[in-house]
Amino acid sequence: MFRKVLIANRGEIALRVISACREMGIRTVAVYSEADRNSLHVRFADEAICIGPPKSSESYLNVPAVISAAEIADVDAIHPGYGLLSENANFAEVCRASNIKFIGPPPEVTRMMGEKSTARQTMKKAKVPILPGSDGVIATEAEALEWAKTVGYPVMLKAAAGGGGRGMRICRSAAELPALFQQASSEAAGAFGNGDLYMEKFIERPRHIEFQVLADEHGNVLSLGERECSIQRRHQKLIEEAPSLMVTPKLRAELGQTIQRCMKDVGYWNAGTIEFLMDEDGKIYFIEMNTRIQVEHCVTEMVTGIDMVKAQLRIAAGEKLSEIITKPVTVTGHAIECRINAEHPEKFTPSAGKITAFNLPGGMGVRVDTAQYAEGVVPPYYDSLIAKLICHGQDREEAMNRMQRALSQFVVQGIHTTIPLHQKIFEDAEFRAGKFDTKFMERFFERQGHKADATAEDHFSPMQPIRLSGTIHG
Amino acid sequence: MDQDKLEELRELVDFLKANGIAEFDMERTDLKVRIKFAGASAADLALAQQLMSGSGGGNIPSLGSTPAPAAPVETVAEEKLHQVTSPIVGTFYDSPSPGSPAFVKPGDQVDVGQILCIVEAMKLMNEIESDVAGEVVKRIASTGQPVEYGQPLFAIRPR
Repeated sequence: MFRKVLIANRGEIALRVISACREMGIRTVAVYSEADRNSLHVRFADEAICIGPPKSSESYLNVPAVISAAEIADVDAIHPGYGLLSENANFAEVCRASNIKFIGPPPEVTRMMGEKSTARQTMKKAKVPILPGSDGVIATEAEALEWAKTVGYPVMLKAAAGGGGRGMRICRSAAELPALFQQASSEAAGAFGNGDLYMEKFIERPRHIEFQVLADEHGNVLSLGERECSIQRRHQKLIEEAPSLMVTPKLRAELGQTIQRCMKDVGYWNAGTIEFLMDEDGKIYFIEMNTRIQVEHCVTEMVTGIDMVKAQLRIAAGEKLSEIITKPVTVTGHAIECRINAEHPEKFTPSAGKITAFNLPGGMGVRVDTAQYAEGVVPPYYDSLIAKLICHGQDREEAMNRMQRALSQFVVQGIHTTIPLHQKIFEDAEFRAGKFDTKFMERFFERQGHKADATAEDHFSPMQPIRLSGTIHG
Repeated sequence: MDQDKLEELRELVDFLKANGIAEFDMERTDLKVRIKFAGASAADLALAQQLMSGSGGGNIPSLGSTPAPAAPVETVAEEKLHQVTSPIVGTFYDSPSPGSPAFVKPGDQVDVGQILCIVEAMKLMNEIESDVAGEVVKRIASTGQPVEYGQPLFAIRPR
């Protein structure tokens, strides 16, 4: 087992890794920017090294600074956490060249699965269902009609030369395809100088379902089941849960097997998550893979009882999966996680500053992962996640009720947080019934808008016209 | 006493002397230390206590083990000297190669851009330049010492 590990991250995940290391008797080295001098992850590590000024690019993302710190602290391994350098294949290579064990997959695998088209090809070969795409330019309307016929409507026409919504059209029937094809093509030509289009299957109301895997360095892979992360705002996850109400035991077992085989073929190591979209008919399609531990790993831990970070450390130290997970993986009860961000709960503007009061909920089935504390400062330089509130129950109903109770006892003063937003979501009938998809938050905000009275606080102040008076003397 | 402990003690004594601390007590499971330099004063004791409270379990203040919340420690002389701090993480060396004379020594006059030392990072020797012109009052870091970003290396009296 490693003697000493450097955690190349900050905030709650750095503390999470430090905690796992402490429990395993591994000495920890924290790195920090000047803005994080008084952070909890710095305080609770055995050693801490300042690696740069506040900006991430000059500190946490500064590969030479991180590696140099690892060298002078004489560590055996680096845990990259999530975000930051965790999916940076170059960083993993530098670790390897510096004789420091990178806790994650080999750089070649990170590169392969991180690149969208190679990942899709890999999954396709392994017979993992992927979101149908034309994988090449569709030259004529006739080709487009043909392709759409085989794949099934609705489909999306997309500009080959650029993105940002330009040259993009959603087509729901053969009747409207020719006209939309022309429109998309002209728009693309106008925006990018190239009217070429490709096509993709479009899912109107997808559910985001992801599968967690653990793989050792001896070719053994285990699926730890799924999580549902459909509650998103602008593609940022707000709430995650395990298991998904939409995944049957049959699907869980079958897809689990397929994924295990695929990850073994790919030579995957350590923790990873494979993301899918599920359409209204319950069919699922691969979209991408995250070659690291994720923010929401906690809900999987709560329902399986497996400590994923410890598993990561043990895998990287060379242990076999059968030594780490000694019983068949089972899903017990239901777990839900709320991401508590330092943001205004309605305007979503980031809220940096000093926390003046901080009370964490506790009790049966409640877990809080946070690196904040009373009198702590939320710096403006990094992402706004300040805590994860995870509740577990015998079923979804209990988990939800527990979450409501815990949210009501989670006191944060001095900054804005999204706690009030989560409280409203947990009162929402659609959410409680489990009837949602990735468009849930849009509909939720509309419902909230309609609920607001005329007497409610006006968040939008119309601009007053500026009146210029007086004469101008020549 | 084994080599490691002896080394730790030497580093501790160096640190205490460099920061003008006159009296220092520490007790750990494996070591109990009491150091008193000639001319102890209450002010020095207070500084020692302040530094101690910044650390979690009485760790020796070696390489960045705890970021002390105290203000940057000044030398014994009360004047405000300019500190040249390390812009990178690495290992400090006061001379271009082992055995060769140091780049600068206390008393030397230096110009802006003059090389003061090397900080080695990832096998690369980075020459650290002075950002002020003036007299080198003291070398704060020791050769072979690991340094972090922002760690004081030299105290210079600007001219």
